[in-house]
Amino acid sequence: MKAAAALPTMPPPFPPAFAALLQALLGQPLSMHGAADERTRARRARLSQSGTFVGHRPYVRGDDLRRIDWAACARTGALFVKQLEEEERRTATLLLDLSPSLLVGLVPRRLAMLRAAAVLGGLALARLDGLTVVAPGAGDASIRPFVGLQSLGSLLRHLETLPIVATTPAAAATLVLQQRVPGRVHWLSDFAVPREVELPLFALRRRGAHVTGWLPELPEDRQAPQPGFVRVVDPESGAMLAVPIDAAFAAELQRQLAALALAQDHLFSQAGAQLVRWPAHVADDMQVAAWLPFLTRCAG
Amino acid sequence: MNLLAPEHLWALLVLPVLWWLALPGRPRAVRWTAHFAQWQEALARQPRRPHRRRRLRFWLLALAAAAAVVAWCQPILPGLAGKQRLVVVLDGSASMAVPAVDGGASPFAQARAALATQLAAVPSHVEVTLVQPGRSLVRRHGASARALHDLAPPAGELGVDLAELTATVAADPATTVWTLTDGQGQRALPTAGALSLFANPGDNAALLSVQIDDAWPLPRMALRATVLAFAATAVEAEVGVVGACATVAPRSLRLQPGTAETVEFELLRTVAGGNLEVRVRLAGDRCASDDVWRLQLPPLPAPRIAVREEVDGGPFAQAAAKALAAEVGGSVVAVQPGEPIGFLLVDGGQLALVPGQVRALTFGTGLAVEPAAVASPWPQPTGIDWARAHPLLLGLDLSELAVQQATHGLLPAGEELLWADAPDGRVPLAVLVGAGTTASVHFAFRLQDGNLPLLAAFPQLLRRVFVASHGAAAVSSALSTAPAAAELDLTLVARGADRGLPAFASEDRDLAAWVLLAGLLCLAVRAFVR
Repeated sequence: MKAAAALPTMPPPFPPAFAALLQALLGQPLSMHGAADERTRARRARLSQSGTFVGHRPYVRGDDLRRIDWAACARTGALFVKQLEEEERRTATLLLDLSPSLLVGLVPRRLAMLRAAAVLGGLALARLDGLTVVAPGAGDASIRPFVGLQSLGSLLRHLETLPIVATTPAAAATLVLQQRVPGRVHWLSDFAVPREVELPLFALRRRGAHVTGWLPELPEDRQAPQPGFVRVVDPESGAMLAVPIDAAFAAELQRQLAALALAQDHLFSQAGAQLVRWPAHVADDMQVAAWLPFLTRCAG
Repeated sequence: MNLLAPEHLWALLVLPVLWWLALPGRPRAVRWTAHFAQWQEALARQPRRPHRRRRLRFWLLALAAAAAVVAWCQPILPGLAGKQRLVVVLDGSASMAVPAVDGGASPFAQARAALATQLAAVPSHVEVTLVQPGRSLVRRHGASARALHDLAPPAGELGVDLAELTATVAADPATTVWTLTDGQGQRALPTAGALSLFANPGDNAALLSVQIDDAWPLPRMALRATVLAFAATAVEAEVGVVGACATVAPRSLRLQPGTAETVEFELLRTVAGGNLEVRVRLAGDRCASDDVWRLQLPPLPAPRIAVREEVDGGPFAQAAAKALAAEVGGSVVAVQPGEPIGFLLVDGGQLALVPGQVRALTFGTGLAVEPAAVASPWPQPTGIDWARAHPLLLGLDLSELAVQQATHGLLPAGEELLWADAPDGRVPLAVLVGAGTTASVHFAFRLQDGNLPLLAAFPQLLRRVFVASHGAAAVSSALSTAPAAAELDLTLVARGADRGLPAFASEDRDLAAWVLLAGLLCLAVRAFVR
């Protein structure tokens, strides 16, 4: 195998047409759920790590050891963990995957991801209290907060300048957890290796984060390749593979891709999170109507 | 390993081409994918096995190609250094045929057996030459030498110095020499090369020579035989004569070592002629080939002498015929139809006779087959002289010969015996015509025209003409040759130790087939490597 010469290129993510589209989308009568809308459910089901002490509950396997109330243990002889009520916040977090694997696709998945992040961020700036963009591997720009719709321009420039860098889901989750980024977490990635996403996703869940996975879907994620002799290149490692494609191979590859999609769905289902797939080619469509399903998913 | 044709190594340039051709196909279409692991897994699950050892397959192919090129360059494995030619010197002298003391094989037979054994073990690439000096020099080369084809039986004298011969041959560093001899008659044994000595010493007596005093056509004959013996002490020998003669008692004589003795015999030969054998006998004689001397004696003629003469020829012809008959023990017969005659004596006249075809002696006779027109009288020829060295006239004195009348142009062409001076040069007065077993002598004058019948040499002349007219039929011939002097003394044998053959150079081995086989093996292995 031989390293490929250069990664695929990508057009500018935010041309003027998209800026106009974004304004039109933000003008749609849609609401966006923040953390406050889930207060009732949060109090009932999950309590975040920071907030006001509201009581104890018996320790169960998987709970954070730092939340064990050792004084109560000394008094009763059993393990109890402290339950804290999250402070009310109307915020959202965008967790972006900057890895080169998102450069793949006729309409690159990264293009779709950035434009989706712009729409999600714009909605958060317009309808919530704030927005935090977490981009692991971006150095100083790894965590950048934005407040108010007036910072939409800054958000777009920030998103446009994010580098292409290989990161791991574990690093992304660690960054989110260490910085205690508040609010709903929108994780935009291709989730190409589900087993690498599993532990970080469960860690975020245990910390009370409400994670929604956003996966720009490409046709080749499900469709079989055309017969021929192709050189397949991995953008992450640069590894190359010469593959003669025939009907049998196409069928097998389709089975593998279906298994991958199933693993992704199963992962998010187990984590109690939502995985939203939407066609990546929508991102290249500057018509509002094309984006309405995506807006509906954002509101949901 | 050496290459005989290294210029063919340029063909190794095919290796980069093979490397280029062995590169896996590179698809032109490039497909970036985020699901590289799925592609790999799908590829791994395919029933077809991908080439996993491309590099090994290429190297096997490259080795096969390189082997083919090297085979084309004619690789050889140089052989070991050593002698590349073998010269066998086989003693072919008479002593090699002498049987062993115990009646075993002769040295020649032993040498031949040793040659057959040893030459079979000589590597085939060694060039073999066999030289057999003896009575005749025999030389064989190559396969003929290895098979010992047509070796001459041992006879005669060696004739060469083996030490010098072998030293000359061995001067070539690539050549080794192998001498097989009995050491007989050599001043020293060869010091160069291998040596096989078949010494066979012993006593020997030999007939050195036999001389005869032949009185043909008379039956008496004197024979002298010279005998020599080689032994440690004086020995008793016996010499006998048997064959075409009356029986004579053998002579015993005591021979001193190395001293020749002569024995004389007076023999009375038989009329029919035949072989006469002289033999010396010695107890314990080792070499029989030099004990016998054989002669071929011609039969004795029964001279029937016929005379033809002119009517007025006088008594000379009849007197000459009687004198000749008395000289050779014959008789004078009349010329009659159907009567066989042995010799014709003609004086004058004309006779239809082909010169040289009839045993005849003519005096002034015109031969009908000759052109008579050229004949002319030649009165009183002067300056008469004769062929003094001719066997017919050797020792005869014809200085007082005087001829009153001769005939010029009467004689046929022949060997001039007698001549006289003439204005146009020397003109023959007598000629000898014929060869083989028949001859005739012709004189250019009649008997009564000269004083030849009165000369003292005339009877002897008649006898010699009679003998000469029989040509070779009157000559005794020796069937034996004198033994080689160096082969007589069998006690004089050079002694030495045998030396074996040196190591021969091994032949260069052609490795082309093996290299080619290795290449094919590489291709065969490559067929099973994926």
